[in-house]
Amino acid sequence: MKVIVCVKQVPDTSEVRVDPETGTLIREGVPSVMNPFDQFALEEGVRLREAAGGEAEVIALSMGPPQARSALMKALALGADRAILLTDKVFAGADTWATSLTLAAAVKAAGKPDLILCGLQAIDGDTAQTGPEIAHRLHLPQVTYAEKIMLDGRTAVITRQTDSGYEVVEVRMPALITCTPPADFVPSTPPYSAITRAKKKPYEEWGVDKINIEADTLGLRGSPTQVKRVFSPPRRDTGVMLEGRSAAVIAGELFQALAKEGIL
Amino acid sequence: MITYEFSEEQEMLRQSVREWAAKNLTPRVQEMEKNKEIPHDLIKSMAKMELLCPTVAPEYGGSGFDAVTAGIVGEELGRADYTASTAVFYLVQASWAYLFDKYGTHECKSKYIPPATKGDAFIGIATTEPGIGSDLANMVTTITPNGNRYIVNGEKNYISGVREVKQYGGGHVTIARQNLQAGTRGMTLFFLPLGLPGIDITEDEEMGREAISTGGFHISNVEIPKENIIGKEEKGFYIVHEGYEFARAIIACVCCGAAMKSLENGISYIKERNAFGRPIGKYEGIQFPLAEHYTKISMLRDLSYKALHMIDLEKEGKASRMEVSKTVAMAKMICATWAMQAIDDVMQWQGAFGYNKECPDQAAYRAVRSFTLAEGSKEIMKTIVARELLGKEFITYR
Ligand SMILES: Cc1cc2nc3c(=O)[nH]c(=O)nc-3n(C[C@H](O)[C@H](O)[C@H](O)COP(=O)(O)OP(=O)(O)OC[C@H]3O[C@@H](n4cnc5c(N)ncnc54)[C@H](O)[C@@H]3O)c2cc1C
Repeated sequence: MKVIVCVKQVPDTSEVRVDPETGTLIREGVPSVMNPFDQFALEEGVRLREAAGGEAEVIALSMGPPQARSALMKALALGADRAILLTDKVFAGADTWATSLTLAAAVKAAGKPDLILCGLQAIDGDTAQTGPEIAHRLHLPQVTYAEKIMLDGRTAVITRQTDSGYEVVEVRMPALITCTPPADFVPSTPPYSAITRAKKKPYEEWGVDKINIEADTLGLRGSPTQVKRVFSPPRRDTGVMLEGRSAAVIAGELFQALAKEGIL
Repeated sequence: MITYEFSEEQEMLRQSVREWAAKNLTPRVQEMEKNKEIPHDLIKSMAKMELLCPTVAPEYGGSGFDAVTAGIVGEELGRADYTASTAVFYLVQASWAYLFDKYGTHECKSKYIPPATKGDAFIGIATTEPGIGSDLANMVTTITPNGNRYIVNGEKNYISGVREVKQYGGGHVTIARQNLQAGTRGMTLFFLPLGLPGIDITEDEEMGREAISTGGFHISNVEIPKENIIGKEEKGFYIVHEGYEFARAIIACVCCGAAMKSLENGISYIKERNAFGRPIGKYEGIQFPLAEHYTKISMLRDLSYKALHMIDLEKEGKASRMEVSKTVAMAKMICATWAMQAIDDVMQWQGAFGYNKECPDQAAYRAVRSFTLAEGSKEIMKTIVARELLGKEFITYR
């Protein structure tokens, strides 16, 4: 079994600050981390490989600048068997359209996977588009919002989050699944022995020549959408907190407050 | 000139330990401080992260860290635990398991090191006595051969980790006089399991680092087997410094971690706290000490890793004994003082809150204070640096 996990390096948004004058994000000096949704997807991939046994293989795939190597090294330390970094000037500035085109081409070049796992979304853009777009480009069935994946022969049984609870769906492999961690997921932190093992695993960097796509359709030039401005919305005042009394009293107060605002 | 750059593995380990600590350690420090204990499941989690006795060979359960890598973990624990208790647990054990692993017998090592790497035993150091600390030549504890065994008598105090040994097992690398006429030239180093009959442990209350114990023990006619001797008989004084130097250089890293973390706390605070219509971080009276402390701690950090790197180089025959002890002593001489000065100012910036028990920085201050003494006082560090500069004939006590 072959599993490809798409991994993105993102700025650690918990450390991103906002310039008080311009309202834009200050990314300078902010550490880069593996997108947390992708780490969950990767750990699921490794778990499925262990369960499958035999010739199973997990490949971590990323597109990014040369520094994104560190996200892939972490993926290797977390148990991926090999890693590929798509890095080339022509890939730069890509929106989700151009990113999914590049990643889909790389998946094809890396050989036919049984499963492609992606994080639900990247915490820097929050679009949740790249995974579904890759599935579309590769004509693969897709399941989104997966919390748990079980394999039953060529079928993946997926527990997915919905607005109202959970849904269990089955999909024939090959398929693409976007993953989101359950509330009790604790991301692994690899110890030194796993890190030194990671350094010995195959790691490749691919340029545009490896993926057989017109450079014109990639990166900034191949991106129909562009980010005009990134800013944080004005801070809103904290709401009124009703607390410290019994639930019945608070419910009464809440009712009155809503009635006063004309909501009820 | 010796410069040092971290390898990719070391950077990855730093990140991994930082993430591990943010999830597993920092949220529990308050609880640890209150209960005066490092919870066993946290020690087990450290073991899973391969942070216990990490320099030891994989054969005995370690990960074969070099000294620099061991220092990185010390710095991160110093950042993450403002009481420095886990940092002390880590560094004492790492340093003395390092020495034990290097000079101990296979029989003794295989009995005590593997459980320590799994978090089921503690390995400490016992040299200090009620009557002496710096002046080892005048200690009273003795070790006397008796057939194939040895009898130990005496007393040790201000010893880190006594309760942990009582709780989990393990013991202390201990030094005592064997040839009573020969001063430091007649001392023997050995492993003393504190569970043996004839050992009576008491605990002290310290000013800081609440979650790791300090205490003492009487040793009356305690018998140990020959296999517990570390290195050669009567040559203990000549190897004990290797454990000390390892510990001292890691302590310097712990101080850097604690001070940098405190400065970061201070930076956030002075940007937000207003006085006289503007954030106090706008006043030069706050900015200048911040700049000075940051500069000093950055210099200390470079010196600390240089000292650890020299310990690694010495193993390859690329650094001399003198250079190693001098560089280590330079870092240890200033680390606690500089860190305390930085943390003291961060406390001051926070006004009355800085003096409140809720303020992490005051706990860090109390913790770091111990490093002016533990594993060798700052004054003794100065005598070492001066000795290397002036020559052995200038040693005060000769
Ligand atoms: C929290 C804590 C934990 C400790 N844990 C351990 C442990 O696990 N194991 C262990 O063996 N010990 C431990 N110690 C003891 C520590 O190693 C000693 O405190 C230290 O070596 C100093 O010895 P002393 O306290 O007896 O002071 P002394 O040696 O009596 O010195 C008293 C003072 O005189 C100064 N002084 C001494 N000689 C000179 C000189 N020649 N020139 C100038 N000044 C001098 C010293 O620096 C010190 O300030 C611990 C101490 C503390 C505070």
